[in-house]
Amino acid sequence: MATNSNLPRRIIKETQRLLSEPAPGISASPSEENMRYFNVMILGPAQSPYEGGVFKLELFLPEEYPMAPPKVRFLTKIYHPNIDKLGRICLDILKDKWSPALQIRTVLLSIQALLSAPNPDDPLSENIAKHWKSNEVEAVETAKEWTRVYATGA
Amino acid sequence: MDSEDEMSMHDANDAESLDDDFYSGDGADSDEADITMDYEFIDNDSDDSDDFPSHHRSQLNYTVLGEADILQRQEEYITQVSMVLSISRIAASILLRHYNWCVSRVNDEWFADEEKVRRVVGLLEYPVPLPDAKEVTCGICFEMYPCDMMRSAACGHPFCVTCWQGYMSSSINDGPGCLMLRCPDPSCCAAVGQDMINALALREDKDKYKRYFLRSFIEDNRKTKWCPAPGCEFAVDFIVGSGSYDVNCRCSYSFCWNCTEEAHRPVDCGTVAKWILKNSAESENMNWILANSKPCPKCKRPIEKNQGCMHITCTPPCKYEFCWLCLGAWSDHGERTGGFYACNRYEAAKQEGVYDEAEKRREMAKNSLERYTHYYERWATNQSSRQKALADLSQMQAVHLEKLSDIQSQPESQLKFIIEAWLQIVECRRVLKWTYAYGFYLPEHEQAKRQFFEYLQGEAESGLERLHQCAEKELQGYLNAEGPSKDFNEFRTKLAGLTSVTRNYFENLVRALENGLSDVDSHGACSRAASSKSLGGGSSKARGTRGKAAASKSSSSRMDDSGHWSSSLLWKNLVSDRPAGAVMKLADTVKTMLDVGLPVGHILGQMRTEGRWKDATR
Ligand SMILES: [Zn+2]
Ligand SMILES: [Zn+2]
Ligand SMILES: [Zn+2]
Ligand SMILES: [Zn+2]
Ligand SMILES: [Zn+2]
Ligand SMILES: [Zn+2]
Repeated sequence: MATNSNLPRRIIKETQRLLSEPAPGISASPSEENMRYFNVMILGPAQSPYEGGVFKLELFLPEEYPMAPPKVRFLTKIYHPNIDKLGRICLDILKDKWSPALQIRTVLLSIQALLSAPNPDDPLSENIAKHWKSNEVEAVETAKEWTRVYATGA
Repeated sequence: MDSEDEMSMHDANDAESLDDDFYSGDGADSDEADITMDYEFIDNDSDDSDDFPSHHRSQLNYTVLGEADILQRQEEYITQVSMVLSISRIAASILLRHYNWCVSRVNDEWFADEEKVRRVVGLLEYPVPLPDAKEVTCGICFEMYPCDMMRSAACGHPFCVTCWQGYMSSSINDGPGCLMLRCPDPSCCAAVGQDMINALALREDKDKYKRYFLRSFIEDNRKTKWCPAPGCEFAVDFIVGSGSYDVNCRCSYSFCWNCTEEAHRPVDCGTVAKWILKNSAESENMNWILANSKPCPKCKRPIEKNQGCMHITCTPPCKYEFCWLCLGAWSDHGERTGGFYACNRYEAAKQEGVYDEAEKRREMAKNSLERYTHYYERWATNQSSRQKALADLSQMQAVHLEKLSDIQSQPESQLKFIIEAWLQIVECRRVLKWTYAYGFYLPEHEQAKRQFFEYLQGEAESGLERLHQCAEKELQGYLNAEGPSKDFNEFRTKLAGLTSVTRNYFENLVRALENGLSDVDSHGACSRAASSKSLGGGSSKARGTRGKAAASKSSSSRMDDSGHWSSSLLWKNLVSDRPAGAVMKLADTVKTMLDVGLPVGHILGQMRTEGRWKDATR
């Protein structure tokens, strides 16, 4: 509990708002032991290969937050050109485009948007990106298959 | 009167008069024109008593900048842009940083499309005031604050002072990207200038920002680079496209502006890169060479080289004197034998096979590693000799000069010749070092060039050893004397003379190598026609044959068929600065052969195999 004792007001406010007015298709709740660690679930957006899937993520707010971005990664396996085997996400606002005026909510919304619009030109996973560019129909089929196998009924 | 000046004057005159009759009636060849100019160079240079003997002050194509100079220039640029564009100095510095400190680029872009430039750089034309409310919420900490606690960039997005401080701190500690800082609002790109940093950041962050700001002026500008010497804070402004890349920093480090490796004339940047890569690839095999000790060839005890000179004396009781490079007896090396050291000659070392080590090496004669080792070892030895010489130089300046001045009752101003000698040694070690990389990449099949190259290198080496010996060991005697030495002036004359001779020799050597030894014909075959032409002028004095050599040269194209470096031109270049005495005895011999029209490479080789080398040079 010691880690939670001097939690900045901002984190408390963000957490309260995440719980009281959750964004559609997104849930994020802090872990009981560590208020900087969030269990996140994102629903696969409609009309995307991830539709029908429930994707688990973990989100951690480092000591420097909000001057430094939160650390986020997928726990559920996902076939996506901007997400690698370890679930790490290639998203500009999680790196150099981070701004302290962004929030957990905006980050999760951006990740949801990334599921709707994969960007194979800025890939994290070379193989998947190649697949996406050479044969999008087949790649989308694989993504759907993975969604069915790994992201449903979990 | 300074004997150095006398000597140089004489030689310069000599050289000019030679050029006159040599070039009369043939002024078309551009190579030859270059060499004429080079002579004038030497002429000019030998008159000024400069601390940097090998650099031509009047020809500098670069400027060394200290911190004050950099700041001043930066201010000038900012003032200029701020006046021409009628914008604040802060805005001007944001623009300049964005366009890599190129004033003309800023002007061009601005006057082509001011609106676009403002958008790209984040300069708002009309600042937006803070929201008109008693209290506002900070977009970072989500706290409510009274308006006077809030600050914003020109865009008016309010953040509290503490959050600004944290925002700036994390950006500044992230690196030079902080110079392009924007408003924290993700939808906004308003620039955050140095005025805001100065008003809101922590003191240590402000200092870091200032540092980055200064560095940016050098690092983002294509015309400037930092001196790569460790700890050096000078920068160099170079006029791109203006010839030699060699730059001499105020910290005394010389480097190549193009590749920022240590100055490496006469080899080019590509060769240096190849050589450095080669060294790192071979470094594991080379470890044994890097070890600083070798067994004494006589008593086999390990000897550590602790002086810059190659002349090693084993510790008592052995006291055997030998050459560090080839481990040969020093008695075969000294001035008595005409100052020629066989130790640089790789081929010869293989043939001699006198020592066990050489025997072992011969077994692997075909091994290319051995060939590399030969060059690398000498390259590295000269490198460490150079480091040693640098240390000696600073010791000389810090301690010995004053002591010497006391003992010999000479004002320190009269001892400048010693510093000049050491500066020359340092420079020569550098050149010599790189000649080994040059030699390594000189194609094996270019026999004549290789032989000539090795000859020139050997001469350079022995000349330098002579100078080094004089500046190191002979000087020691005067340093240890009880009182003024009677022959101190003779010592001065000798050391100054050696410095001047060695300087000229090395300058000419560098030029010859940079020209790819173009005066050596690569075919190595001796043509009768050319020989007889040269023979026609058969005096033992080079100047007697100049006209003939020129005639033969100009009558055919550059591909001269004479089978050796076709005229005595290059030779004249190299030995133009002939001192009195034994210094150039060998030079005389070979020169005579040249005058007689014999291909020098062939002769050198023959003399070597017949073992007549040393006799002939007596
Ligand atoms: Zn705040
Ligand atoms: Zn803004
Ligand atoms: Zn420097
Ligand atoms: Zn270079
Ligand atoms: Zn010994
Ligand atoms: Zn030797």
